[in-house]
Formats: sequence, C-alpha cells, structure tokens
Amino acid sequence: MIKKLALVLTSLLGLAVATGFAAGKTYVFGVVAKSNNNPVFQAAKTGAEDEAKALSEKNGVTIRIDWRTPNEEDAQKQVEAIEQLTNAGASGIAVSCSDANKLTDAIDKAVNNGVPVVTFDSDAPKSKRLTCFGTDDLECGQQVMSELAKTMGGKGVVAILGGNQNAPNLQKRVQGVKDEAKKYPDVKVLDTYYHKETPQDAAAKVEQVQQANPQITGWAMIGGWPLFTDNALKWPAGTVKCVAVDALPAELGYLRDGHVEVLLAQQVYEWGTKSVDELYNYVANGTKPPNFVKADLIPVTKENVDEFAKNWDKWLGKTRNKSASR
Amino acid sequence: MPPPKFSFSLSKFPEGGLILVIIALGILLWAFGGSVQRPKLEKGPDGAPRRVMTTNAAGDQVPASIQVNKFLNAETLTQIAKDTSFFAIMAISMTLVIIILGIDLSVGSIYALSAVAGAMLMNHYGSNAGAGAAWQGVALTLLVGALCGLLNGAMIVGFNVHPFIITLGTMAIYRGIAFVLTKGQSIGDFPQEFRTFMRSGVGDLSLVPLIVMVIVCVIGSIFLSRMTLGRKIYAIGGNETASRYSGIRVRPIKLMVYVLSGLTAAISATLALGYYGAASSGDGQGYELNVIAAAVVGGASLAGGKGTALGALLGAIILQMISAGMVILGIPQEYSQIVTGAVVIAAVLLDQLNRWLGNRRLLAKTARVKKEVVAAAETTVQAKP
Repeated sequence: MIKKLALVLTSLLGLAVATGFAAGKTYVFGVVAKSNNNPVFQAAKTGAEDEAKALSEKNGVTIRIDWRTPNEEDAQKQVEAIEQLTNAGASGIAVSCSDANKLTDAIDKAVNNGVPVVTFDSDAPKSKRLTCFGTDDLECGQQVMSELAKTMGGKGVVAILGGNQNAPNLQKRVQGVKDEAKKYPDVKVLDTYYHKETPQDAAAKVEQVQQANPQITGWAMIGGWPLFTDNALKWPAGTVKCVAVDALPAELGYLRDGHVEVLLAQQVYEWGTKSVDELYNYVANGTKPPNFVKADLIPVTKENVDEFAKNWDKWLGKTRNKSASR
Repeated sequence: MPPPKFSFSLSKFPEGGLILVIIALGILLWAFGGSVQRPKLEKGPDGAPRRVMTTNAAGDQVPASIQVNKFLNAETLTQIAKDTSFFAIMAISMTLVIIILGIDLSVGSIYALSAVAGAMLMNHYGSNAGAGAAWQGVALTLLVGALCGLLNGAMIVGFNVHPFIITLGTMAIYRGIAFVLTKGQSIGDFPQEFRTFMRSGVGDLSLVPLIVMVIVCVIGSIFLSRMTLGRKIYAIGGNETASRYSGIRVRPIKLMVYVLSGLTAAISATLALGYYGAASSGDGQGYELNVIAAAVVGGASLAGGKGTALGALLGAIILQMISAGMVILGIPQEYSQIVTGAVVIAAVLLDQLNRWLGNRRLLAKTARVKKEVVAAAETTVQAKP
C-alpha cells in the first residue's frame, strides 16, 4: 500500500516538474481596450488569446493575457489599469487609447519601468509606445464618405453618426468624412450626431435624428454601433443609403436585407494577434517593430457577405470552444 | 487605587469593522499576490529615469532588478492611495449630503465641468507659463465646482424639490456645458510647473493626491465631530422637523452642504488635472455611483443622520483595494463586478456587526450602571431609620 502511494506521489511530482520545465518562461501581456461594451474589442481579446496560445506552443513558453478593459470608456480607468499592470510585473501592455493626452504619461511611465507598450486602434503618438497597429482614421472617414457618395449618386443630404465625441480616432474619422464630402458639391452634410457608445443609445439616436430630419438620404456611420441591435434602421431598404465601419456578425444582416450598402471591416481580430506578436518578439527576441503598421479596411457588400461571415467563428472563439467541448 | 486597565477593542471604534476588512484584504493580497521583479531606476544625465545596469555571471550588462511583494511595496501602495484620493475626497462630502438625507448625482459632471474650465484657462496660457497661470486655473476650477454646488443647493432648498430630481437634471446640464465648451476635444498643455508640482513626491511616487486626501479627511472629521455646525448636520439628518423647531437654520446648512459637495468634486478635478495632464467633457462618467458606494460602505446611512469622514475614506480604500487586488491576484476581469459586489456586502455586514457589538456593550454598560444606581438607592432607603 505504502509502495503504491509512494509511486503515485513520485509520478505526480515528476509530472509537476516536467510540466514546469515544459512551460519554460512565462510572459504576462496586459490588454487595455477602450470598453467592454463595444463588441469589436471582444474580437481583439479573442485574437490576443489565440496568438498567445499559438506562440506558447511554438516557442515552448507560457503567455498569459491579462484583460483589463474598463466596462465603460474612461481614460482615467485605463491609466489606472496600465499602472496596476506595471506594478504587478506585466511583461508588456497593449492599449487602445480613449484619450491620448491622459494616457501618454502612463505609457511613458510603464516604458521607463521596463514594460514595453504597443497601441492598437487608437494611438498615443507622442508617447514612448513601441508601435501602433490600426487604421489611418482620416483615410477611414474619407473611405466611408467616398463609398456613401458612390451609392447616393453623388448627391443628397448626409448625417454622420459620431460615437464618443471625446475619442481622438473618431474625431479624425469625422474630419475625414467632412473633407471627402467637400469633393461632392451636391452632397450636404447636415450634422454630426454623437452618442454613448452602446448599441441601444446609437440606435435611438439614429431613429430620433431620421424622424426629425426626413430629408436625410445617407448615413455615414464611422462606427457600426446601432447595427448591433435588430431593426435599428427604420426606413425601407434602399431609400436611405448607409455605409458603416466594422462588420461584426450582428451587422451582416443589414447587408443581406439591403439596409446597408457597404460595411468597412476593421481588422479587429488582428488588433489582438498583432499586438501580442509585436510584444512577444520584442521582449523575447529584442525585435523592434516599425513605428506604425497600417491596417487596411476590407469592404464587405451583399455580394461577398457570406464568404466574409465564415471568418467570425474563428474571430469570436467559437471554433476554439467547439474544439474544447469534443 | 489600582491603575486603570488598558483595553483596546476595534469594536469600540465606529469604523473598526472597515479597518478589519482593510487589514484582511491586505493580508490576502500580501499572502497570495506573489512577488515581482521591479527594475532599479536612477536619474540619467538628462534628468529622466533610466534602468540601472549590472554585470551578470557571464560578464554581460543586464538591467538590475529587485524582488518585491506584488502588494506590499511602495509603488503599489502609493498607486492605490493615489487612485483612492479622487473618490475619497468626493465621498467625504457625499457623506455630509447623505447625512442630511440628500443625494448628489451630479458630482461626476461637476468634476468634468470644473476640470474643463481650469484646463481651458491653463491651456490658454500654455506649458511655458509660470505658477501664476497655474494658480488662476486652480482657482477657476474650485470656483466652478463651488458654483455648481451652490446652484444645486439653491434649487433643492429654494424649490423644495427632492435632490434626486435636481441633481439628475444638473448631471446632464453640467456635462452638456462641458461638451459645448470643449466641442468634445481633450484639453491639455498645462503650465509645466503645475504638472511637476502635482506629480511631485519621492522618486517616481506621486504623494500630492494622498496628502490632499488626508488633509480633507482630517478637516471633515474635525468639522463633523468637533464643530457645532457639524453636529447640526447630524441633527438635521436625524430629525429635520425637530431640528427646525430647536432653532437650527436648516436651509442655509443644506445649501452649505451642497456647496461643499461641488467644491470637493473640484478639488478632485484639480488633482486629476495635475496628475493626468488633460481634461475632457467625458471625464468622471459614472463616478457618482463609486462615490456614493464609498460613502455607504463607509457607514453613511441612506436613512440619514449617520456617517463619518473617516468612514468615507476607508470605504473608498476598500473599493480601490478590490480593483487593484483583481490585477494583483490575476483574477479575470469578467468576475470583477461579482467580486466587487460581494466584498462590498461583506464589508457592510462586518461593519454592521461591529456596530451591533458596540451597541450591545453600551446596553450592557447602561444596564450595569442602572443596576448599581438602583442598588445604591435601595441601600440608602434601608439604612434610614
């Protein structure tokens, strides 16, 4: 009996030691996105976790993602999260900045304390961050307006759906829309409508504005917030044109039923994968990435929506969950 | 006569339960948080911090580091104190508001508007402006906060409308004004002297928010417990009608309480301007809930008449320790709201238990004294011929 017990204990001990050796070095990468309420950042989270798993298996190390995103957009809470992660010994931090002015000092402090920082989606260009992976927001806004003008035949009244008025990347997109609109003399931009960045608030804003201004014939949505709800666009399909940024699964139905003409998909999954990849290559191998890596927008229309939709099972971790349950 | 026995019991302090919770949380974080390699830093020739290098066994130059407990180290404790200060300062005056059976939902918006006002003035002078410009910005921040509080108080007292309704409205109005003023932009570029002073401390540790928090707490404690005006606030909260009939001027005191609420929001905003270096109309969203939670966890009763400044501070510390603890212990953020809610309930229950024990001791002492008085009276009666 005692011999059996000794054998079991020794085996367990050996397994623990072997596992310890197999795990190798451990890295903890903190990820601080803008808000948990915005579904695009959930895709970034999945991307970060998938890349962490892939790099761990490939390099014989353990990479853990520490997700510390505020529930609501709040730059002060993001600063808090960066400082907490730095003090807790994170190996690196990826952040999408709600307010570059506020986050610059926190990023610099983290870097001065030996914690490299990368940004994605929304940058803090004056900070000591290593690199930024994201859309050129000015070009993004221009592309939204350009696609919208095409579908409107170069004339009509346009409303801009602006999201959080304080977000620097959204402000640039709005500027991009306005700059591009100037190229179309028969297009009039009515106004920019801001709202809390939840699907319900965004849908309510669109309904309210459209009812008060029935002359609107086009919506330039620099984020796809209202399209995460059902029946957000109350007009008959095709009577008012709409182009939006982001093409998450909940939004694709609007393409299929003709309420939305084009969705410009950001590489939201790659926000996570690229950030983790850059951080790991830097801390493990000393590889310095370029200062800015531009992520192109992918136009999704009624013609290619079904093909595009297949990507989402992977990007939202559904294929990962299916494998785990087998 | 034998010397008096020294006895100490945490249950004798109204905030004893909260102190126990903080100690318990601290022990938990120290024991289970693990350790971390903290880089050694020194000031470089340009004054900027840089890593200290050392030579390893192989003869290579590598960054030097020291091993510290994840929780019990100067950087983490200072960071917790600094993050607590923004809420604690507002929670102290929210306690006053709650004592008089009021509520102030607009503190987050006052925080934003006063920050934006000061930010715009300092931005106008620019980063090369001197201390004078900074003082003007601070004065404007505090003035705007006090005025917002005055407006709240005037409407609550003047129109006799429930504070929930008035401050719900001003919550939207003040934030709307902030947005119109800034057009949604983040305002930065403050006088460098102001930023340097507000971030000053020991090494990389910013101590100004902590010091201001302690000063406000001390002033709040003395005001509530030692000054007549403070006692009147408790009286109004306990029974407003009786207070009025006793000659207490209820309306001016209520007005003063809301002015203080606005002023402390502005003090927090000033600290934030200095530490974060920018302000926008989106600042402080949802802070009113954190501030109210800190005050209530700290012992302020929503039924009025109860609460202390120290309790508000301790309540804010508990909430901040939970936030920091989630990261230290590596608890996934998905569980943060569940953990926060559970610890808040536990803290309040422990505090209630402590008060109950205190009340029981008081009742027992009263009964004992009553028994002695009755016994003494009976002895006197029996002794008479």
